[in-house]
Amino acid sequence: MRSRAVLGVVLLSALALLFALGIVYGEATDRWFFGGALVGALLLAYSFIVLLLRKMGILGPRKAER
Amino acid sequence: MSDAPKVVGFVCDWSVDLAPLLDGGRLRALPNVRIIRIPCSGFMRPSWLEETLNRGADGVFVTGCPYGDCLNREGNYLMRDRLDQLQRRLVRRRIDPARLAMLAHGLHDQEAFLAEVGAFVERLRALPAAAPARPAPTATAATAAEGEGS
Amino acid sequence: MTLATQARPSPETAVRGRYGRFMTALLRGTIRLDTAIHRIYPTDYNPLYYTGGLANLFLLILVLSGLFLFFYYEASLGGAFESVRYITEGVPYGGIIRGIHRYAADAFIVAVLLHLFRNWFTDRYLFSRDNPWISGMFLLVFGGFVGLTGYQLIWDERAQVLTGLFLGMLRAVPAVGEPLARIFIGGAGVSNSTLVRVLFLHVAPASTLYVLLWWHYLRLRHPKIWPPATWVLFSVGLVFLLAGIIPARGETPATPGGRPTGFPMDVFFLLPFWLLNWFAPLFVVALLTVLVVLGFAIPYIGRREHPEAMSVRHAGVAQVIDGNCTGCELCYYDCPYNAIIMVPSPAPGLSRAAANRTLLAVVLESRCVECGICVGACPFEALELPAFLERDVRQAVAEAVRA
Repeated sequence: MRSRAVLGVVLLSALALLFALGIVYGEATDRWFFGGALVGALLLAYSFIVLLLRKMGILGPRKAER
Repeated sequence: MSDAPKVVGFVCDWSVDLAPLLDGGRLRALPNVRIIRIPCSGFMRPSWLEETLNRGADGVFVTGCPYGDCLNREGNYLMRDRLDQLQRRLVRRRIDPARLAMLAHGLHDQEAFLAEVGAFVERLRALPAAAPARPAPTATAATAAEGEGS
Repeated sequence: MTLATQARPSPETAVRGRYGRFMTALLRGTIRLDTAIHRIYPTDYNPLYYTGGLANLFLLILVLSGLFLFFYYEASLGGAFESVRYITEGVPYGGIIRGIHRYAADAFIVAVLLHLFRNWFTDRYLFSRDNPWISGMFLLVFGGFVGLTGYQLIWDERAQVLTGLFLGMLRAVPAVGEPLARIFIGGAGVSNSTLVRVLFLHVAPASTLYVLLWWHYLRLRHPKIWPPATWVLFSVGLVFLLAGIIPARGETPATPGGRPTGFPMDVFFLLPFWLLNWFAPLFVVALLTVLVVLGFAIPYIGRREHPEAMSVRHAGVAQVIDGNCTGCELCYYDCPYNAIIMVPSPAPGLSRAAANRTLLAVVLESRCVECGICVGACPFEALELPAFLERDVRQAVAEAVRA
């Protein structure tokens, strides 16, 4: 289970890097809709990375919820 | 601790639906667990929990709604904090803090609730025997005006 | 109170009317949804626990993107569409910001409706909790109106149709219809002052939303006004992605003599106008009015006003035991509904700890929901629930540990 989560984090991080490069490309070529969509995709990838980190136990609930 | 440990659970009205699980005042699946219903998990005074342990219960737990879904918004968070403080006090008074537990279960979480209570009972079995039950506080300690009987 | 009688009557065995049974079924279904969500998201990340915070997040996104749009927008019949086109195609990321504004508005309504239904189905509006419900209904109505005026500001063909339809609905209202219509378009007919008026009717109610939010939070301690980080990222990411993939573009500009008949539908804001295809304007106005009034009336419908009729525990509102209160303020900090206030103590307390107090706790009974959290907070036995006293708890404990 945990290794699947780690794999997911690694995959999403690689995708996020790809998206970031795409954002720079979109900025350079004035493709604003393309760049903007990739900003969104990047943030979505981050949200799932945070979820996976939480499931792995690296991020925890607040103290009052343990 | 050879017999089933005597456990008292305070379960909030809005958390897990105990109607199918209760048999009188006990859990059908775990007859050594007695249940007392309370209006909200935040209603419990830590002194009552300590008194339950002193009166002879081997373990006591409080059950509230899942964190984030307390009907009264903050009851389970507050109770969690109070239990943390109470556990530190219990250590100072030489009572094992593992005898105290906070659970959080929603309306349909009967199985998870029973599983967690069962695990709690098993942990209690492994503990050394508690100090003998102390009688209820006398009238000098309690407010006599309230007509405290016991 | 024996253990057996302490168990509150379960919804299945208590006598309840059809409405009560229906609401119970909705409650159970809603919680079952939670069970499904918890297979993926832990409870502290459950989005349904943060629907209010999500709505607040989208409102902030709307304000920020709206500020950006406001810098470029020109509120005149001839210039509006062109200024919006310039934002979309001429300003770097302008089209994205415009799309974000559009999709965050839809998401705002979705979050508000989720918030409404969840709090309705889980009984979080009953008795003293009707106040946030009423302010919430106002928030919904104002939000819906802001959405309508937003679509008008673009002044494309859809805006033209919407304006005509809305004026028709307003004018259908007896007596006040014509003056209302004139207020709405800033004159007798659509003119250059119309879009200035509509811009005001967009920004002013939107700002009023924050005043209504202040009212909405008044009776809540620590309101959950922000979702967890994973959902902030998800929500902002989603509106960016949608804005990039499905750009929000105006269709054709409105023309002075034009009589367009159709427009692309937005189901979150423009559904009443779709109904005008089949029903007379007055009927649609009446239907909306009835729905809104029913919405406001939800906390007061039926015998669910009283805990006895609902088979829930009725422990009585919290009572301060004056003689014991030391003014420590712990109950004041813990009450989730701001139902306890501290007042200067009129006289010293009776017990030794209370003799030197400067403050005294007072329960505002109209705000108390009888949860007893204050009872648990008080270290000095200065609070009680009249039907569930400390001695009742101790008696129950004594019975439980016996045998």
